[in-house]
Amino acid sequence: MSGFLAITVLLAAPLLLAAAGELLLERAGSIQIGVEGTMLLGAFAAFAASQRGAGPHGALAAAVLTGVLAGGAFALFAVAGRADPVLVGTAWNLVGYGATAFGYRLLAGATGSVLEIATLTPVLLGMPAAVLFAFLAPILLELFLARTRPGLAVTAAGENPLALDALGGSVVRVRSAASLAAGALAGAGGAVLVLTVSPTFVEGVTAGRGFLALALVVFARWKPLRLIPGALLIGGATALAYRLQAGGSTAIPYAVFLALPGILALAALAVARGRGGAPKALGTPAP
Amino acid sequence: MGAASVADNLALLDRNAPLVESARARHARVARLAEAFGLELGGPDDRVDTLPVGTRQRIEIAGALAGEPDVLILDEPTAVLSPDETAALFAALRKQADAGAAIVLITHRLAEVFSGADRLTLLARGKTVKQCLISETTAAEIGGLLIAGSGAEETEKEEREEEKIFLEGEEGREPFEGRRGDARRPGATRPSKNAARSAAGVAANNLEVRNFRAAGTPPKQELLSFSLSPGELLVLLAIDGNGADAIASAVAGLTPFTGEVRVGRAALPSSGDPLAFRAAGGAFVPADRREEGLVLDLDLAENLALPDPPGRFFLDRAAMQTHALERIVAFAVRAPSPSTRAGALSGGNQQKLVLARELARSPRLVVAVHPTRGLDLAASAAVRARLAEACAAGASVLVVTSDPDEAFDYRGGVRVVTRGALSGEVAGGTPPAALGRLMAGLGA
Amino acid sequence: MSVPRRVLVPAAAAAAALATLASLAVLADASPLEALRALALGSLGSRAAIGETLLRSTGIVLTAAGACLALRAGVLNIGLEGQFLAGAAAAAAVGPALAGMPLVARAAILLAAALAGALWVLPAAVLAAKRNVPEVLSTILLNLIAATAAGGLVRGALRDPAGDYPQSRALPDAVRLEPLFSGGRATAAVLVALLAVAVLAVLIAATPLGLKLRAVGLAPAAARAIGLADGRLKVLAFAGSGALAGLAGGLEVLGVTGRLYDPFAAGVGYTGLAAALLGQAQPVASAFAGLFFAALGAGSSAMQRDTGVPAALAALVPGVLVLAVLAARARAGRSGS
Repeated sequence: MSGFLAITVLLAAPLLLAAAGELLLERAGSIQIGVEGTMLLGAFAAFAASQRGAGPHGALAAAVLTGVLAGGAFALFAVAGRADPVLVGTAWNLVGYGATAFGYRLLAGATGSVLEIATLTPVLLGMPAAVLFAFLAPILLELFLARTRPGLAVTAAGENPLALDALGGSVVRVRSAASLAAGALAGAGGAVLVLTVSPTFVEGVTAGRGFLALALVVFARWKPLRLIPGALLIGGATALAYRLQAGGSTAIPYAVFLALPGILALAALAVARGRGGAPKALGTPAP
Repeated sequence: MGAASVADNLALLDRNAPLVESARARHARVARLAEAFGLELGGPDDRVDTLPVGTRQRIEIAGALAGEPDVLILDEPTAVLSPDETAALFAALRKQADAGAAIVLITHRLAEVFSGADRLTLLARGKTVKQCLISETTAAEIGGLLIAGSGAEETEKEEREEEKIFLEGEEGREPFEGRRGDARRPGATRPSKNAARSAAGVAANNLEVRNFRAAGTPPKQELLSFSLSPGELLVLLAIDGNGADAIASAVAGLTPFTGEVRVGRAALPSSGDPLAFRAAGGAFVPADRREEGLVLDLDLAENLALPDPPGRFFLDRAAMQTHALERIVAFAVRAPSPSTRAGALSGGNQQKLVLARELARSPRLVVAVHPTRGLDLAASAAVRARLAEACAAGASVLVVTSDPDEAFDYRGGVRVVTRGALSGEVAGGTPPAALGRLMAGLGA
Repeated sequence: MSVPRRVLVPAAAAAAALATLASLAVLADASPLEALRALALGSLGSRAAIGETLLRSTGIVLTAAGACLALRAGVLNIGLEGQFLAGAAAAAAVGPALAGMPLVARAAILLAAALAGALWVLPAAVLAAKRNVPEVLSTILLNLIAATAAGGLVRGALRDPAGDYPQSRALPDAVRLEPLFSGGRATAAVLVALLAVAVLAVLIAATPLGLKLRAVGLAPAAARAIGLADGRLKVLAFAGSGALAGLAGGLEVLGVTGRLYDPFAAGVGYTGLAAALLGQAQPVASAFAGLFFAALGAGSSAMQRDTGVPAALAALVPGVLVLAVLAARARAGRSGS
């Protein structure tokens, strides 16, 4: 794959994974703005596992496991506990940032030198399996939501939880399951970031990508297949921005490309009629 | 699920649906159910929230039937169905029953009972009034029993159960015959409307409603026009879900409408603007006093001060206290002090508080929705007295209620609302049984 | 046994804080008591330490105040971080150009900063009022845009031609705030923050506007029916909270850094929100929570130096505290008190 396209794909992959997970959760009616925190935790878990001798795939597994635990914590507080998900998410970002910075400091010591870790091996088209899976995930998600019975339950939990409840379904169970899956995907996204693009960990390595994932879900109007072009757009814009920055050109064009995802998502919210396709019960507590 | 298609909704409702299913299989289900039950379900890919309410109701019913249940309970299924759709539904239900299912149908509509049911249990105010086979009774008899028991004491409850008639029915045999029930009360005195009118001469009406239709009413529904002059009180009597609440809500500016609504000289915007309603001199007493009438976490004085608390920079708490004390005494609100939290008051006292606030500004028009719901006899009488006082002071009052017993106690005109349509004024001496028939959609 | 909320919630918070501190210290091969001692000394143990604490508290306390205002009106303004940056950018843009009387210059800068913060939240407020767009989403997007915009400004329009580090031009020394007391870095900015908190507390509790805002926040379904202009009131709450966050950004530039860099905000907006959550959206209680977080931040670098426990602990504790409090409140809610 050519250089620019390769970078774009690599930049898009972590975003795609995290966004797919968040989309699933939001379709189920819950919102986790703490995706950033989970991605950080996943990235750190991959880094720490690598430092302890695990290979790249072991690192990825550690990240996914960490993500699942993170999703479980969110489910405990925000879904079953019915605490305001926005507040839980805010706290979670702080926890994720602080915990990973703390952990990194412990592992890396006071030197502050950059520690390299092993990267994932390319499998097809010069891309590791995890990156390819990132592009497969939205397709699988679309099939899941559109064609399976559990998928319908997820949609119901987000559109009309009272109806699902009346039908005998458990909104809490559906949203909790979605949270676990979303956590796993976000953790994987963090791992892919440090196992491919920048094969190391630094404080706040995700640099707002978790929030970008939230933007991507909005931009895709909560339809899984639209995540892919959106992620490629963001990845391409970021790659372009880096290139312009490295080239030393004036700052204005380069920053615009970095700001583009946020601007586009905001525009998508503004022009769409009726909440832009958001699930009707998004953010409301389970009955 | 509004945002999903008909096919997807039915796939969710069908308990026998497989774990994974193709689009084609889902489409096939829609066609199969439409045919099997003779119901019009719309196109399989249509988004449900674009379909009319009647279609959505049918989809829900088809979904319930699809699972071939052994026991099926239907709660007011025909509320938004046309006579043809109702007939189709009953045919489908009959088929299911003949196949062995047990079906329980809850309805207010007598005509339906006699068109398809086998047995009937009549409930009024939570007590069983009659249990028999359909063949053993007539619609006239049931109609008379519908409003029986008006002398029973009501205990004060926060949420009074809607009076429900719990019926299981069978093929009716005798056509419905109108029969006057025993007159249970002497004719009420003629309402004061005429007196107020002649006294005021050609005063401007406080409320003018022309070519009006509230949002959410089926487009086939005829347009309404009515007016209220100063000192006039009109009761809209209806069973819940027939549109009286919608009319009141639109007049109060809370929901959109088509047509013209004027409060005094001011025309209200059709998109709904509660502030314009109030600026024109309107006051609103909502049905749900806890959720919509009061801020439960604020104290009495604060609630009474809303929406325009006194004071330029600082809140004039002294003025608020004085005002609050005065209103509390005037309206006999029982509370330890004006600093009591509004949520701590009993239902009756909360309602008095709402009235105290709303009537404080000598409004031109008062819209009160189910103002005595959940209140005991004494509190209800107090509420009605306050509204009468407002009338005497020149205001017009529009009351919505579903209780035929109290309809004439307001000493105003009474009109019945069925399916969004307004009847003519009901004569003062009409007995509750006949009122019940009118409310149930049968001619008197 | 149901424990009353008044006791359970602070107890849970205190327990969580201590437990976190202790376990993190142990993880870092240090003694919890030593770590605690270092934290205390580093935040309150000397004039310099106190100065540091006060310095850090300005931003957190003001953003917490903004969060309080929004929360009381029922508005979820998660965009305080972006509004902080907007205010800082405005101060960095306007500041270098101003000469003349320092007092006037400072007032102008702070006004510009507050205005910038209020304007930055406006798109979210309008979208929420006119199109029912959940403000959680729109304010987060505005944060993203603000962060990249600030980075761009610092390298472009506002760039300081002297020096090769991306930063904006420095404010004139005469305009920048001086330390309040010798030995510490704290400036009058702290006083501005405390004044703002006091004004907000009075506004919410003792003015007609405050009562209306509270009503809208406490009973959103009733607000329209009662006759409150809930749309307008919410926009006002948005704008007010944005202005406070913008003011915080302006004070940061005016009193601490003298210019804008990239990155700049370091989570102040989110920490302020956490403080407001701990303080139950009461301005004074939230200010205390903010001061506590600032003390943690100030003390943590000393703690890292003396005991080796990483300073990132200060970022972790607010999050853990909020989670503990949310759990405790949910628990207390269920047991009926």
